[in-house]
Formats: sequence, structure tokens, C-alpha cells
Amino acid sequence: MRTWMLMYRKELLEMARNYKWIWIPCVFVLLGVMQPLTSHLMPQIIDAAGGLPEGAVIEIPPPVPSVVLLETLNNFGLIGVLVIVLSSMSIVSGERNSGVAGMVLVRPVRFLSYITAKWAGAMTLVTCSLLLGSLSAWYYTELLIGDLSLLDTLYGSLLYLLWFAVILALVVFFSATLKGAGPAAFLSLALVLALSLLTGMLPAWMTWSPARLTAHAASLLTEGQLLDLFWLNILVGVTMIVVLLVSAAALFRNRPLVD
Amino acid sequence: MSLVEIKDLNKTYGSKQAVHRLSFGIREGSCVALLGPNGAGKTTTLQMLAGLLAPTSGSIRFNGLPAQADLRRYIGYLPQQGAYYNWMSGSEFMHYSGQLAGLSKKEAVQRTNDLLDRVGLQEARKRKIGGYSGGMKQRLGLAQALIHQPKLVILDEPVSALDPVGRREVLELLKEIRKEATILFSTHVLHDAEAVSDDVLMIRDGELVLSGTLRDIRNAHRQPVIYIEEDVPQALQTWAIEWERLAHVTELSYQDGIVKLVVEQPDEVKQQLLQQIAQHRIPIRRFELAQTTLEDLFLKVVSS
Ligand SMILES: Nc1ncnc2c1ncn2[C@@H]1O[C@H](COP(=O)(O)OP(=O)(O)OP(=O)(O)O)[C@@H](O)[C@H]1O
Ligand SMILES: [Mg+2]
Repeated sequence: MRTWMLMYRKELLEMARNYKWIWIPCVFVLLGVMQPLTSHLMPQIIDAAGGLPEGAVIEIPPPVPSVVLLETLNNFGLIGVLVIVLSSMSIVSGERNSGVAGMVLVRPVRFLSYITAKWAGAMTLVTCSLLLGSLSAWYYTELLIGDLSLLDTLYGSLLYLLWFAVILALVVFFSATLKGAGPAAFLSLALVLALSLLTGMLPAWMTWSPARLTAHAASLLTEGQLLDLFWLNILVGVTMIVVLLVSAAALFRNRPLVD
Repeated sequence: MSLVEIKDLNKTYGSKQAVHRLSFGIREGSCVALLGPNGAGKTTTLQMLAGLLAPTSGSIRFNGLPAQADLRRYIGYLPQQGAYYNWMSGSEFMHYSGQLAGLSKKEAVQRTNDLLDRVGLQEARKRKIGGYSGGMKQRLGLAQALIHQPKLVILDEPVSALDPVGRREVLELLKEIRKEATILFSTHVLHDAEAVSDDVLMIRDGELVLSGTLRDIRNAHRQPVIYIEEDVPQALQTWAIEWERLAHVTELSYQDGIVKLVVEQPDEVKQQLLQQIAQHRIPIRRFELAQTTLEDLFLKVVSS
């Protein structure tokens, strides 16, 4: 546990030294501010773009606060995920290729600790970024659009957070088993995309899919309640994280640390 | 008493046999040089000892420890190409390494101070490792290998990347370390091995070809040699062919105008040679009786 904490703290420090603690939260805050702002300014934007033709009367419905938040979370799920995957694609392979993983693993350190400390470090950054992003979205929605429950905002964000945790475990897994960062990122993104699309297109078959966590968040925000099988999705999500991290450590261990 | 016993160690990469049936022991408190040319399998052997590489077969046993014990606690390792967190400073890396090895924060700080002093990095300790020169990284690597006072220190070519001064400094340092720990280091330079080690293991193509204390090896393989240097270019070319057929000459080479004869009965051969030289007025500049050196033996072992 002591060595785990050491490695975890080293991850946090490294992300501070290479400015990840600045730019990734910035991206999420930016995404969080953008949606309420554009919704608020939509009429002016249309005006500025030349306006509507004379006589055309089109009602622009006033934006709904919970829908604005949902759109923000959707952006997190797209652009945010892209940022998360690309910024952590070499999380294990980078140290392995440079050889510094060998310097660490000649120490009495468990492979599983090494892997999970990396995941937990990245997860800490993602959690802070996502919460900062959601809070900015909540704040600007309250300010510009209308009343929004802070509790629902947090609840919806936590569901996304679990989904991100699964994605991050996937990235760590591929980064530990593949040599290159590019293939790891590509495979992670392809799998996430496939899982999301299949879950959307074949709802009857994919009731177990952890990608449904985002649908739960949507339903919670718009209908005020979760969908069915919520706990199944949580369970599958958590299981996936555990299985991915444990097998990443096992596979990492069985490949020589040196080439 | 031996600290480590290696038995029948094998490592194959695909069809390439990098290490083949290697067996040796390392005496507690000794300094052992693993000597071999490029590609001999030194790094592969050391990586297996350090636990970075799983042997294809064979065993590595530490005396007094069960077979499944985590040996990493007792080993300090300097890889041939050290890699570091470039964003850390030298002392940060040392603190981190020490604590990973089980030291408390306080012990790690203390050992860091001590070791960085000894390897001459005290001034640079606060600078980022990314800005270190190759030699500085090599010293840092040496320091981090020693931070937890390991029983066995494994160093893969500790001096190859250093300038002559650094080389001597590090060799001096090794002499100091060997009072506290057992050392196994690899090199392809015999001179380094002679400078600090008691025992040498010579390997070639992954196989142990010679091992023992330096003195024993030197004595056991010492042979008389005769050097004859020509005074006129090519003067000895035809004679060399002739002399190769003389009785008691086991080996002859002709290179750079020098004939080198490894012989069994030096006096007899000397008489014959001198007679011929006088009789045929062969133009020579030097005639010398000597003994083969370890260098000769090493070159022979390595190139045959
Ligand atoms: N990862 C690997 N894959 C395939 N072959 C390898 C690998 N590592 C080493 N070898 C081969 O094993 C043999 C021994 O290599 P090793 O690195 O142990 O030699 P060495 O004695 O350390 O040489 P050097 O003095 O150049 O460092 C070489 O023929 C090398 O080509
Ligand atoms: Mg080598």
C-alpha cells in the first residue's frame, strides 16, 4: 500500500509537471461553459448571421436547463473522451518503451500496483476535470437560462464518470499490452464507439452494456428517473474495470520488460 | 560461501540462443566481472538475474532464501542503457527509487545525499534529469542501484559510457562498494575486469568459456611467446610460413611486421630461430621472449 501511494503520488506529480493538470480541466471547463452560452446567445447568433428572411416567423423555443446540461454531458462524452484517450494513450507503453518501467519494476513492486496506480492517477485528473466542467455548466445554466438542480447535475456527472472509468481502464489495458500508443488509442476509441453505437442500435440485446450509463444520465435529467437495469450496468462497468486492470497487469508481467 | 547459484540458465529469442546452459556461483563479498564481446549474452544474463526477464529454463537461487522469494529486494541493478523520469530532478529520482525499495523517506534522503556525493552529482542534484549528460545519467544510475544497500549489485557496463577520468572514478567507487556488497558487473574491456575484480566469467555466444579467479586463470593459461619484428617490410613473410612448421610451435601469427609464436619449449625454439636468423641474415629489429597475457587469452577466447 505504501508503494502504491508512492506511485500514485508520482503519477499526480508527473501530470502536474507536464501541465495536464492545467489543460485538461481547461478543456472540460470550456466545454461546460460553451453549451449554456451558445443556447443563451442563439437568437443573437442567428441575427448576426444575416437574420431570418423578412416576414418569416419562426419560434425559437426557449432552452430548457436540464437539456442544456444533458448536451454538455454529451459533449463530455465525445470531445472529453477523445481528450482523455489521447492524453493517456501512452500511459504504460511510454514508460515501457523508454525503459524506465524496468527501473521501477526491478524494485519490489507489484505489477498490479504499478498498473492500478496509473489508472487511479489518471482517474483523479478525469474526476476533477469532469466535476469542474459540470459545475461550470451548472453555474452558467443557472445564470443564463434557468433553474437547475445541483444534485441532479452531480448525479448525472457521476454516471458519466463511471463510464469514463471504464474507458480509462480500456486505455490502460491496451497501453500495457500493445507497443505503440497509436494502436492503443485507436483500439480504445474503436471499442468505445462500437459499444456506444451497438447499445444505441440494438437496445434489446445490449441491456448489460455499461455504455447505457449515459442513457441513464439522460433519462435522469429529462424524465427525473433512471432506466431499468441500472444496477446491472453499474455491476458490468465495475467488473470490466477490475478485469481489464488485473489482466493488464498479468499480461504486462508476462511480456519481457526489455527488448 | 556462494551468495547466488545459477544453474543451467537458458534464454532463447525465437530460434536465437542468447544464453546457453550457463552455470556459475557468485561468492559472497566478491567482485565478479562478466566478460564477453558484443552480443555474447551479458545483458541477457544480467537481466534474468535482476528479474526483468524470465529465463527460458534454469534456476537462480539466492542462498538462504526460498525459491519463490522476491529477489528484487536484495538486488541493485544498473541497466546498460539507464532510463529515468526526465521531468524529475536527480535527488527526486533517488528519493523515489529508495522509497520504492523500502526505505523510509528520511533514510532515502540521507542515502541520496551520501551517494550523490560519492558519484559526484551533488551539484547537479536539483537539476532535471532531462538536462543531464550521458555520463551524469550513468552516475545517477549507479547511485540509484546502491540506494537500498543491496546484497548483490548488478551493473551492466558501468563504465562504457564514461570518459577516461570518469572511468577511473567509477572503478575506484566499485572498489569501495565491494567492501559492503557483492558485485557482478559486465564489461567487454579486460582492463576494467583486471582493475577491480577477483573473479571473471568469460562468455561467448551465450556460453561460459572460462571462469575462475584472475590469478588462477592467468597462471593456468600462461604460455611462452616469442615476438620477432622485421626491419624491412615483408622480410618475415616467407619465414613465417616456414617457422609455423617448427616443432613445439603451437601457434603463429604474422601481423604488422611482427611474427608472434606461441611455443612449448621456448629455449629450444629460440636456439633454432636465432640460428636461422644469423645464418640467413634475416633483417630483424627485435627478438623478444615473453609470456602470453590475459589480453591474449581473452582475444583468443573471444575470436575463436
Ligand atoms: N529482445 C531480443 N530479441 C531477439 N534477440 C535478442 C534480444 N535481446 C538480445 N538478443 C540477442 O541475444 C544475443 C545476446 O545479446 P546481449 O544483449 O545479451 O549481448 P551483450 O553481451 O550484452 O552485448 P553488448 O556488449 O553489445 O551489450 C545477441 O545475439 C542479441 O542479438
Ligand atoms: Mg549488453
